[in-house]
Amino acid sequence: MTVSTFILKNALRNKRRALLSISSVAVSLFLLVTLQVALRELTLPPQSAGAELRVAVRNKISLTNPLPVRQRGVIEKIPGVEAVTPFTWFGGKYKGEEGMSFAQFAMDAEKLHSVFGEAKMNGDGYEKFNATKDACVLGKITADKYHLKVGDQITLDSTVYPGSLSFHIAGIYAGTPDDRNMLFRQDYLDESIGVPGYVGMWWLKVKSADDMAPVIKAINAAFQNTSAEVRAESERNFQLGFISMLGNIKTLIASISTVVVFTLVLVTASTMSMAVRERFRELAILKALGFRRRELFAFILAESFGLAVVGALLGIGGAYCLYTFGNIGKMTAGIFVSFEVTPRIMGVAALVAALLGIISAVAPSLSVARMSVVNGLKTLD
Amino acid sequence: MAEPIVKIRELTKLYSQGEIQVTALDRITLDIAAGEFLALMGPSGSGKSTLLHIIAGVDRPTSGQCLVQGVDVTKLNESQLADWRNQNVGFIFQTFNLIPVLTAAENVELPLLLTRLSRTQRRKQVETALEVVGLADRAKHLPRQLSGGQEQRVAIARALVTDPALIVADEPTGNLDSHSAQEVLSALQALRKDAGKTIIMVTHDPKAAAFGTRQIHLEKGELSQ
Ligand SMILES: Nc1ncnc2c1ncn2[C@@H]1O[C@H](COP(=O)(O)OP(=O)(O)O)[C@@H](O)[C@H]1O
Ligand SMILES: [Mg+2]
Repeated sequence: MTVSTFILKNALRNKRRALLSISSVAVSLFLLVTLQVALRELTLPPQSAGAELRVAVRNKISLTNPLPVRQRGVIEKIPGVEAVTPFTWFGGKYKGEEGMSFAQFAMDAEKLHSVFGEAKMNGDGYEKFNATKDACVLGKITADKYHLKVGDQITLDSTVYPGSLSFHIAGIYAGTPDDRNMLFRQDYLDESIGVPGYVGMWWLKVKSADDMAPVIKAINAAFQNTSAEVRAESERNFQLGFISMLGNIKTLIASISTVVVFTLVLVTASTMSMAVRERFRELAILKALGFRRRELFAFILAESFGLAVVGALLGIGGAYCLYTFGNIGKMTAGIFVSFEVTPRIMGVAALVAALLGIISAVAPSLSVARMSVVNGLKTLD
Repeated sequence: MAEPIVKIRELTKLYSQGEIQVTALDRITLDIAAGEFLALMGPSGSGKSTLLHIIAGVDRPTSGQCLVQGVDVTKLNESQLADWRNQNVGFIFQTFNLIPVLTAAENVELPLLLTRLSRTQRRKQVETALEVVGLADRAKHLPRQLSGGQEQRVAIARALVTDPALIVADEPTGNLDSHSAQEVLSALQALRKDAGKTIIMVTHDPKAAAFGTRQIHLEKGELSQ
């Protein structure tokens, strides 16, 4: 027998309790990793190629207030601007679904490639989109979800405009950070049921990164004191603004995580205390045999640390495998497209587990330190 | 006469419980010669365990001296005492001596984990100790697979595995039927005869005490030979 077999046998002496404490650590850390990844995915929108050259222009009052089309000419004349397209929220519901499962925007077909160039399409998708008025392009995730293919017709009931619109799918794109949206033509919207003369917002592409700041400044200035003042900002800032609209999710997730960790500490600490209390007499005998306090501490620490580490491996490893090899889009019904378990998040969870192992050993170690052999022996005599 | 292995002088132990003071040991003076099998008798509460614990270095007296092999154990600090116990004293308790999840051999090996012995050396010593108490064939058994008498003999093997000069036993037969008690007492007796160990055994059973080479009586913390 070695010291480690002794510790192992002690840790596994009550198999059900060991199993329960390992699973409570595993489940809690799994939850913690999930929450942290969700938090990261929500607060750090995926960076798309080309994002550093894109500018969003929206009504200063709010995103839901429209902008007049006449702004386009002004924006296009600003030095550094390469391409401009309207981008109008349609708010369509597909096949009588309760809510909206993907977003649709009306835009300028000719500008799709220059502004959102990272969208890759097979075949003649771009040409057809340009040529046909009722054409639309659809993100691959949405197309797969509804088993839609090029040439299919889809009809959407707008929640913004009266009535519904039918489209023909001209292409299916992929390669953007979130291949879910449907894009169709602004002119089709205007002619059919829209309000001609108004668009939802503008997206534009600048010629180089150096143009970014001056262009934003120029646009903001250009419409000052007009009936439709705008806010121009980088794509990243625009998305961050969206996130703050999600409400105080960050605080919410942070507080849930804290509760998870706190509960976990309480559960494991009390399990360890129980395990040690049961063995008080044995620890007294070990002391009588010549084991010192620090050796008994080491036994207790090794046991609680061991349980925490095994639980952590299962919980963190399980989360990693599930989110890395599983289909997150399917699992979350499309709410999350990417769900990356980063080394940093795993590190934080492992640290929590390590601290957990140490903290749980503190109380039992203290009671063992206070125990005299004589009193310890009396506990069962 | 040779220098006694245990030399106790004016040993007093007081417990204060609130207002009341209990005198567990009252100025005990006692010599125990090497190779003695001392039976420490007396009614319950007379201070037998307290005396044994102080000699074995797990409890401290209020005043007085207790020299074991010339070392005043009352002057050692916690850590020194732990080492001293490991090297010089073998313990046998009344009940629940053994760690339930360890086999007989593993239980016997426990005190050796604190030594510098190699694994093979440890295994050898464990085998020898189990042979001495006649339980070599039970090495792989768990405590619950052993009878009460066998359990106590495993405890004896554990007490002698480090080859200490002194073995202390606190009512080792208190929980056993007479047959098992006989087994355990014979094993202790053999230990004295064959290995020359000094044994101090607390008991209140005169039949058990008869196995000793000397009997002494404690009464309310005082010796009455
Ligand atoms: N921790 C303690 N606190 C107070 N009194 C104690 C304590 N331990 C022992 N005593 C008292 O000391 C006396 C001797 O106890 P003990 O040595 O255990 O007796 P024995 O082993 O002979 O039955 C008893 O009166 C007992 O009540
Ligand atoms: Mg007693």
